[in-house]
This record gives sequence, C-alpha cells and structure tokens, in this order.
Amino acid sequence: MKAGVLCAALSSIPLVAAAAPESYTFDPHHTFIHFGVDHNDFSTIWGRFDKSSGKFTIDRQAKTGAVEISVETASLSTGDGVRGDRPRSRDEHLRSVDFFNAAEFPRMVYKASAVKFSGEVPVEVSGQLTLLGVTRPVVLTVDRWRCAAHPVTKRGICGGNAVGSLLRSDFGMKWGIPATGDEVKIRVTFEALKD
Amino acid sequence: MQEWLIHPVVQGAVVPFLAALIAGLLFAPLRLAGLCLAAGFAAAVYLVVGFQFSPLNTVRKLLLLGLAAPALGVVADLALRPTRAAGPVAAVICGAASIWVFLALLKQKDLAQALIAAGATAAYVGWQVGAVLALRHDSVRAGAAAFALGLGTGVAAVFAASATLGLYALAFGTASSTFLLLQMIGGKRIFAGMTFSLTAGLLAGLIGAAAVYLAELPWTALAVLAAVPLAARIPVPDRWPVWGQVVALSALTLAVAAGSCLLAWQASRGPSG
Repeated sequence: MKAGVLCAALSSIPLVAAAAPESYTFDPHHTFIHFGVDHNDFSTIWGRFDKSSGKFTIDRQAKTGAVEISVETASLSTGDGVRGDRPRSRDEHLRSVDFFNAAEFPRMVYKASAVKFSGEVPVEVSGQLTLLGVTRPVVLTVDRWRCAAHPVTKRGICGGNAVGSLLRSDFGMKWGIPATGDEVKIRVTFEALKD
Repeated sequence: MQEWLIHPVVQGAVVPFLAALIAGLLFAPLRLAGLCLAAGFAAAVYLVVGFQFSPLNTVRKLLLLGLAAPALGVVADLALRPTRAAGPVAAVICGAASIWVFLALLKQKDLAQALIAAGATAAYVGWQVGAVLALRHDSVRAGAAAFALGLGTGVAAVFAASATLGLYALAFGTASSTFLLLQMIGGKRIFAGMTFSLTAGLLAGLIGAAAVYLAELPWTALAVLAAVPLAARIPVPDRWPVWGQVVALSALTLAVAAGSCLLAWQASRGPSG
C-alpha cells in the first residue's frame, strides 16, 4: 500500500513540474496588431493587421515566458482601402514595395523569450522582430493582462494589451521619411486560449 | 533644403537631370556620355532610399545590376570593341540574371507558375536589353527609346502603387533626356555604345518586371513597353537636323509608352486589390 502511494507520488512529480509552464494559442479573431505613424506632422494615422497567428508560454512560478507571433503583412488596413478617384488606395500603397513589400515578404514574425514579471503578471517582453528580411530587437510593454476561465466555454484564456515602438528605417522601410514618420507606434491587443 | 530633397519631383527629375547633365558634359569627350544615365539613376537611388544592399532583396538586386551595367558597358566600349553578337549575348545574360533578381518571388509560386513567370520575365528583360542595344550605333534612337522607356515605366509604376520604382524609372528617363539634349544643343550625335544602351535596356526591363511582381502593374503594360524600341526604329529623314530627329523619335516613342500608362491607369480603375 505504502509502495503504491509512493509510486503514485513519484510518478506525479514530472507531471506537476511539466504543468507549471502553460501554453496558449492566440485567438485570431481577438488578436490584432495596430500600428500608428505620424503623417506630415499633423496627425497619427492608425492601421492594423487583420491576420496573425502564434503562441505564447508562461511559467508564473519560474517567471519565464516566450512569445511567437506571425503576422500576414498583406492583411493590413488603415481605413483607406477604396481607390475612389486615385490610382491606388493607401492600403494598396502600404502593401507595395514602398512599404511592407507584401509580395516578397508576406509575413513578419516576432519572437521573444525574455519576459519581465511583476508578481505573476508579465509586464515587459523583449524580442526580435523580423520584417522585410531584417531582424531587430523590439520591446513591448504589457499594460493590461488578465487570465481567467472563459465565461462561456470555461476554457482558460488570457488577454491584454501591449505597446511598443520601432523605427521603420531600421528595417529598410525608408520610403516617405520624414513626411510619413519613421517612428512606428505598436499596440497589440490579444486574447489567447489555453492549449 | 531637406524639404526640397524629399520632394518626389526633385528626387525623380530635378536632381537626376542635373546629375546626368554634369556627367554627360564631363564624360562626352571620353565617348562615355552614356554614363549620364548611371549618374541620374544613382542620384535618385541615393535620394529615395539610399544605397543599402543587405539583406539583398529583389529591389536591391535590381539596383546592384542597374549600377553594374554602366561599369560593364564602359569596359565593353573601351576594351572589348563589341561585335554584332554582343547584343544577343547580353540579352541572354541579362534575361538569365533577371531570374536571380526575382528568385525570392518565383520561389513562392507553384512550379508551373514559377516557370512561366521566370520565362516571361527573362524574355521581357532580355528583349529590352537586346532591342535597346541594337540601337547603340544611333545615339538619337537609343536616347529616344530610353527616354520613353523611363517615363513610360515610371508613370505606369506609379499608377501601379509603387512610387519607389516609379521614381527610379522616371530618373533614368530624365537622365536620358539630357543625353538627347546634349545632342540637340551640339547639333550632332554623341556616342551611345554599350555604356548607355545596356544600362537603359536593363533598367527598363528590370523596373518594369518589378512593378508587375512587387506592385500591381498589369503584364499587358509591359507588352506595350516592349514596342518602344521598335518605335525608335521608324525611319526619319537623315537630312533633318539632329534636334528634329530627336523631337520626332521622342514623340513616336513617347506615344507608344503612353499606351502602357493608359493600360496601367485603366487597371487602377478597377476594384481595390
């Protein structure tokens, strides 16, 4: 009897250890990457990418985590997708070789494995963004974070917002600078379902 | 000053024109006035996005070949004394090189589509190189073809949503206009050779193909641009003064190039992509 209990206890150790890091998959219907760029020093034009996919892992006890998200560059929208009386809309121009070059670089990827925590809450993610074939560090500050059971499905879900910025010229995207700003503000709004 | 230098007209026309004019005047005594094309193009590249070749993406490969072409042309004109076979040989080599330029985009297609696209691209680039090189012994015709190819490809590329490619093409078109201007003012032909013709043909071919791959230029626009060097062969009376031949041939070639711009414009009238 004692041997059986001991055996059961021992066999559960690896399971407990393995259960600590949790893995989540981003919900593509509730995850968007928004970007904002200065326009002629008058206003900030905001756009977003509609299609993305990825995962993150989090280990609250070990205070570690990792994120990988892939974004389809052609899925961008800035609210100006209709040509009207112009040859091309702004969204078409942004997809062209002048900016995101979506034909040659259909995806940009963000990978991070350095996460800072405040208690059990991640507050900063340091990773590498690969855009236009160039990889540069990008830091995201998590300014909203909540994990709970989904109100309907009862499945584990985490959501939040993260903000950051980058210089697009660092990635070789130089067209239109400085009339169209070099600094790109990033705001990621996400929800992810526990695997 | 900075505000001026970021203006598209300055980047694609004013500065390339001045750079080409200076280079044309400097190198004409050496029979290398064709370097004006390289000077105008390089000036636009410098102003639009600068010289950067890593990572070596499609546009950067295009720039690399576009800047290598005049150097090869100079070597050919000064050292190799190119024969009649030089045009076809250069066309085949440039056609093959175009596959290297667009390889990253071809790899994303199915094999059958990739083969068709690669063949069409090599054929277009090879045709433009061969057809413009065939005009190299008549600097007025070569200049008129390059002028119309630059302006036609540039305007069509802008309609196709790429200002970068548009400015590059407009820059070499503007630079070609200085090549014609020098002949009009001097009242005599100046040597075009491989230096001018190889650069013009290769830039026209690669930028046009890039506007199809990387922007939204319909391939039919390239089919019309392919006829520009043919339009430059239309006979004009030899007794006409050089300026008259320049005006006539430029009008003919520009009329053909305008057809390409019209197709690009019509394509842009459809629903948003």
